[in-house]
Amino acid sequence: MRKGLIPILSALTALTALAVATGTAGGSTTAAQSPSATDRALITCGRTRTIGIAAPITGPAASIGSQQGRWARYWVTRYNRSHRRTKFRAVVGDTQLPDTAQAIQVAERLASNSQVLGVVGPAGSQEVQVSTAPFKNGRLGFVSGSATRTSLTTDGTRRGFFFRVVPNDDQQGPRVANYIRGTLRHTRVAIVDAQNSYSTGLSDTVQRLLRARGVNVQRESVNEADTTDFSSLAARIPANTQSVYIPWQLAPKAQLFGQALRSQGKRAVLFGSDGLFDPDNFKIPGSYVSFFPINLRSPIIAAYRRGPGRGKSELFGLPSYQAADVVGRAIDRACANGTATRAEVRRFINQTNITQRQSLLGFRIRFVQRRRGVLGPGDMATPANFGIYRINNRGVYLRVS
Amino acid sequence: MPLPLAFNAELFIQLLVNGVTLGSLYALIALGYSMVYGILKLLNFAHGDVYMIGAFVGYGVLTLLGGPLSPNIAIAPLIVLMFLAAMVTSGLLGVVIERFAYRPLRDAPRIAPLISALGVSFFLQNSALLLFGSQFRSYDSFVLGSENPEFFEPGPLTDPVFVIRNVNVQLIQVIVLATTVGLMVALTLLVAKTQIGKAMRATSYDREAAAMMGINTDRVIASTFFIGSVLAGAAGVMFGLLFSQVFHFMGFLAGLKGFTAAVVGGIGSIPGAMLGGLLVGLAESFAAGYLGGRWSDLTVFGILIFVLLVRPSGLLGTRAIHKV
Repeated sequence: MRKGLIPILSALTALTALAVATGTAGGSTTAAQSPSATDRALITCGRTRTIGIAAPITGPAASIGSQQGRWARYWVTRYNRSHRRTKFRAVVGDTQLPDTAQAIQVAERLASNSQVLGVVGPAGSQEVQVSTAPFKNGRLGFVSGSATRTSLTTDGTRRGFFFRVVPNDDQQGPRVANYIRGTLRHTRVAIVDAQNSYSTGLSDTVQRLLRARGVNVQRESVNEADTTDFSSLAARIPANTQSVYIPWQLAPKAQLFGQALRSQGKRAVLFGSDGLFDPDNFKIPGSYVSFFPINLRSPIIAAYRRGPGRGKSELFGLPSYQAADVVGRAIDRACANGTATRAEVRRFINQTNITQRQSLLGFRIRFVQRRRGVLGPGDMATPANFGIYRINNRGVYLRVS
Repeated sequence: MPLPLAFNAELFIQLLVNGVTLGSLYALIALGYSMVYGILKLLNFAHGDVYMIGAFVGYGVLTLLGGPLSPNIAIAPLIVLMFLAAMVTSGLLGVVIERFAYRPLRDAPRIAPLISALGVSFFLQNSALLLFGSQFRSYDSFVLGSENPEFFEPGPLTDPVFVIRNVNVQLIQVIVLATTVGLMVALTLLVAKTQIGKAMRATSYDREAAAMMGINTDRVIASTFFIGSVLAGAAGVMFGLLFSQVFHFMGFLAGLKGFTAAVVGGIGSIPGAMLGGLLVGLAESFAAGYLGGRWSDLTVFGILIFVLLVRPSGLLGTRAIHKV
């Protein structure tokens, strides 16, 4: 028995020694360094720069995460095609939303990879919340293409580290509430949240605003990721309800809910948030969706459709392309003299200035520097009005406001 | 959370119809769990993923034959073909899983095949992710067979077969219920009246004794996996037709609910699996309808805990007597 233990113990000792030697000699990890040292750690940029992508590639939310991953990587592909001398390399982490433990691990992995200079993602507001500490410890800036909870920027805890290229809940909510009450003149509305922080935040905002304007609001809740049978939820919606607001992220599930409503003879208008802007999967005629005023005729979208989208536009992931653009430009600027630090990259992200013409989102991208109303540092300074799109009988999205 | 205070007959009937339809699916999945447990005392956690593969095979056949918006053949034979392909493929998959993931561990400690089952579950889930991608695939059963699918005109599967107090019972719901009942009757007859059924029962009672009596227990166990997986494949296509969308992760929760149904009904008992499935489906539907979506899973798993506390062997299960 003892004889058998000796080689095992020797092997373990050797492995430990090797790990210690690698950790101390190479300086390839940043997690072991102090935050300020990490901030100043110089990286030789070389020809190939590294960008991190954190998205839920597998798990229940894989359908949205893989879109984001594809769009972000599409930016890398386009960049590499159009630049001869410099190239980008993407390091992708699978956050497996809603498993926040995975999001933390991904953040730690990206932060400890000294080659990563900036990150696109994570996707969900709850993921941003839990990833903040590892990203801050690694002094890494991160730009999300879908986390919309207002407090992520207004609470001040992520200042200088977290940025987003999507408007927040307090910008989207009022637009929706105004349209439902002011334009559609609906007075009986149901709101169904999807039991996650993206959805409850938006639902709360719209509910508060509608109630303040005298609308009778019925609040419901469903776990969109786990639910397959929406008929019981549809049965709870009274027949005289005029519209149902569903700030969800899984368009196929919204489609199912719409079908369940229709098959029970209920004619309420469905009103989706940006998460449901998915002409391939959500196409209940007469429904509305709020989304950024993107240029649907952009050649980039058409090229994506022909390429990685394999026939689909996957527009929910489009802001991640823009986020990659923000991070990539900042890395390029930081690397202008051949070396870069994460602090420089964060500073250049903060100084982003992408014109309306260059932006796929349809408006100029600059970040707010200090708190201004519902906007906090890291929010976009030019909050374009959300577009309201109506789905016609052929499932085509038409902008109506 | 607004509770409907006055009794609303329409809502009640709607929830009843939903619950029975959903329960039929759970019952079919539960049968697979029950059969395998009955014969091997193994919780086959990969069963939910076999059901997912069945749903994808059905979708594959639908796509091969023109897709939901413009199928090349009539709806009835199309659906029959989808069922057949899914059932055969799932059945064969079940046999392969048994042969390579469970048979080598048959004499290992009981934890080993359990871990192997979890491994197979993840293997299938991620294989589906790699093969079919992460996006939802739609049977588009709402418009399947419709004259104007591009205008979202409902197809024949959503036609009301009968109406009870303003509640439409759709053709697809009737098909699901009838198919489930048919498959269950066939399974009951198979177990009670045929040679293989007798062999299955003998193996379930005492595998060693059955082997000594000349029964090829390996073949019996493989047949059990085949039959259980055939039922899961059928449930997968039913799911696609009922709820339209299939995706790589769908087997996880459905498998968990099917397992709950099997335990509630009495794991190892075929009528118990049917009863458990219906109970779970009805509980989920009524909880979601009367209490709201947040309560449905709480209620289902609350029932599981309650039944385990009050009657650990399940509603129709029998207590095992162990020789000491």
